Amino acid sequence: MKRPSRTAIVHAFFVLFAITLVARAAKVQVAEGKQWTARAKRQHFFASAMSAPRGEILDASGNTLVESREMTRVAVALPEVRDTAFVLKALHRARVDADAVHAAIARRRRWIDLPGLYNTADVASISKLNGIHLTPVLQRVYANSSGIQRIIGGLDGQGNPIGGLELSLDTLLRGDSGRVRLARDKDGRALDSPDGWTDQPKPGSTVVLTINNTLQDICERELAIAVDSLHADGGDIVVMNPHTGEILAMASNRTGRTAFANTAVTEPFEPGSTLKPFVAASLLEKGKARPTDVVNTHNGQLELDGRVINDMHKASSLSLADVIRYSSNVGIVEFGQRLTPRQKYETFRDLGFGMPLGVPLPAEASGTLREPRQWSKQSSASILMGYEIAVTPLQLVTAYAAIANGGELMEPHLVKEVRSVDGKTVYSYEPRVIRRVMSFETSRTVQRMLLAVVQEGTATKADLATFEVAGKSGTARRTSRNAGYTTGNYTASFVGLFPGNDPQYVVLVKLDSPKGGHYAGGDIAAPVTQIVLRAALSARDAALNREDLAASEKEVAQDKAVRDATASSNRSQQPPSIAVAARSEKPNPQSYDPNRNIAKRDPQETVAPYVVDLPATIKAAPPPTASRIVPDVRGMSTREAVRALHNAGFRVRLVTASATGTSPAAGSIAPPGTIVQLTRPLE
Amino acid sequence: MAKSGLGMRGRSLVGILLGAFVLIALAIVWRRTIGISQSEHLASLDARRITLGSERARLEAEIRDASSRQNLGSTVERRLGMHVPTDKQVIILPRARQ
Repeated sequence: MKRPSRTAIVHAFFVLFAITLVARAAKVQVAEGKQWTARAKRQHFFASAMSAPRGEILDASGNTLVESREMTRVAVALPEVRDTAFVLKALHRARVDADAVHAAIARRRRWIDLPGLYNTADVASISKLNGIHLTPVLQRVYANSSGIQRIIGGLDGQGNPIGGLELSLDTLLRGDSGRVRLARDKDGRALDSPDGWTDQPKPGSTVVLTINNTLQDICERELAIAVDSLHADGGDIVVMNPHTGEILAMASNRTGRTAFANTAVTEPFEPGSTLKPFVAASLLEKGKARPTDVVNTHNGQLELDGRVINDMHKASSLSLADVIRYSSNVGIVEFGQRLTPRQKYETFRDLGFGMPLGVPLPAEASGTLREPRQWSKQSSASILMGYEIAVTPLQLVTAYAAIANGGELMEPHLVKEVRSVDGKTVYSYEPRVIRRVMSFETSRTVQRMLLAVVQEGTATKADLATFEVAGKSGTARRTSRNAGYTTGNYTASFVGLFPGNDPQYVVLVKLDSPKGGHYAGGDIAAPVTQIVLRAALSARDAALNREDLAASEKEVAQDKAVRDATASSNRSQQPPSIAVAARSEKPNPQSYDPNRNIAKRDPQETVAPYVVDLPATIKAAPPPTASRIVPDVRGMSTREAVRALHNAGFRVRLVTASATGTSPAAGSIAPPGTIVQLTRPLE
Repeated sequence: MAKSGLGMRGRSLVGILLGAFVLIALAIVWRRTIGISQSEHLASLDARRITLGSERARLEAEIRDASSRQNLGSTVERRLGMHVPTDKQVIILPRARQ
């Protein structure tokens, strides 16, 4: 047998090798093809969740209160790090806090979430390092105003809502997250690939609040000044449109445990005398009394059921109107005896006390209103004076709104509109009447009583020169923990209707435990109301209808004469027995002074007999209307586009960008006055 | 002679095929390299866009806060002697009748 040559053996070996290779390739490609393809895809591609941009929250004028921005969270997996020193240097160069890494190494931790969030571009340089894990995180940018944050709430580190509107409207704001499939390079970095796919996230809806940011700002500032100057423990201001129930401003000021709580809806208080007008309304409504009916007020001291009820303003007898004007405890208790306990309870229950109002804020308190069967012997009188009942500032404002709007209890609103991402309005609030709580005539009678409170009663410090203000002050003793009612511890409050004859605002100012000589609501809460109203009047946009306001203006030139005549007439009609305690006009250094900065004012400015005749050719401004369509400004010059947007009733913010367009987009519906961002290329 | 010619053509063909394969492979590698590079560039631009958007949001919030009454109020009162006008100083112009 001929031995095969060496060359033939080598050839045979190569042929066998080739056959094996081809066979193996055929097995991999044909028999196990699907399995290996799937494995390769798993290695080369990965799916990643894309968080949806959370919806914006705007104020009633379209100003941004909260928006989202994308930041990056950095984590380090120490077992994956090859060169710790190099990674630490890189972190330092990227301005990432490397101290936490040092600490983690010392404690032998395997995974470190670095504190804080970083700009995506800043940390892009360290994304390629082994062991560095970057996670995109949406961060909310809030207006710095603490009051707004109390309303809006916030998110925790994982982006979950933890309070306020962020929590209660989470389903609207959060949107739907998407997914993206990306390719991975040899270092594990993500790459866009034609074989990938993207399921785009659906951004959250935009929520437009009824809050007017200007008014909110005014309230917060004045509240902070008042709390500071009076050394009060805190305070709240709530402003509502009585005709629609829109909450226009809601400011709170607290320190300590409730520093971030929206106490205007979460913290009930005993309202004291601010509840008396509702007792008067109930008496009038049920025909149990007339404004001119007089009761014996026992010179301001009445012993009833084992306790003594006192008045600040001593009088032997007072009419119902004067009981409200001088806030007589004895008088309201005497009048209140005409109502049965059930009637008293139902009066307050119908006003919404003792139950939540349903505003979209978590932890809204219901307050306390006990049924008559739970009352003690003294409760029947206490509740008439605003004790043994606890209401939230929002509940009290809502109840006063019923007096202001002709007797209807309105549902308070905080959300004006919800818009989807394409600008369509998916929800728009409609004013809703909960129930009629008094007749129109009764509400007007009570309103007149409240006007007298500010003109000549306990709250003259809320009065304005050119507009009527109606209102009622309240001064209630506060309880201390385990000590009951304590001396010198009061809640001073004032609820005002502005303008008094045709209210556009109901304003509640409440100050907790003011220190110093003054603690009466008429002395310290009423002046805060006055300056809030003055600031709102001088502001460009504070949710006031100036046309209606002009019609409500007092006749300034005649003002003094009329007031003098009224005062002298009232003096002559006053029962001689009234011995009103002289009001201290001495300036108190610890008292709140709304005119703190106008001591050197020009004396001539105190009279303003202005008569302005505008040319008849002036065009009447369009009446306030519903939302409008954002016009399409493509193809227009910048000037034409701005003009078109102005003519459509929008405010314009010009921004330079590569693309031309508007935000909200053309065709979107937006209320007049909304700021429309106009993007134009640099010319 | 004819056999030798065929042999040359066969080798040339193999050579050409191999050359073409190398060229195509190079083109594919080049295309992928360019694609990956473009993708990285896009990713970095996207990161930059996100960063700029974040900066815009932060700056706008700062402008809002800086121009708020809470911040400006005390400053203009102290430095410029400004004050909240009394209601008498606010004049509401009546709308002219047509």
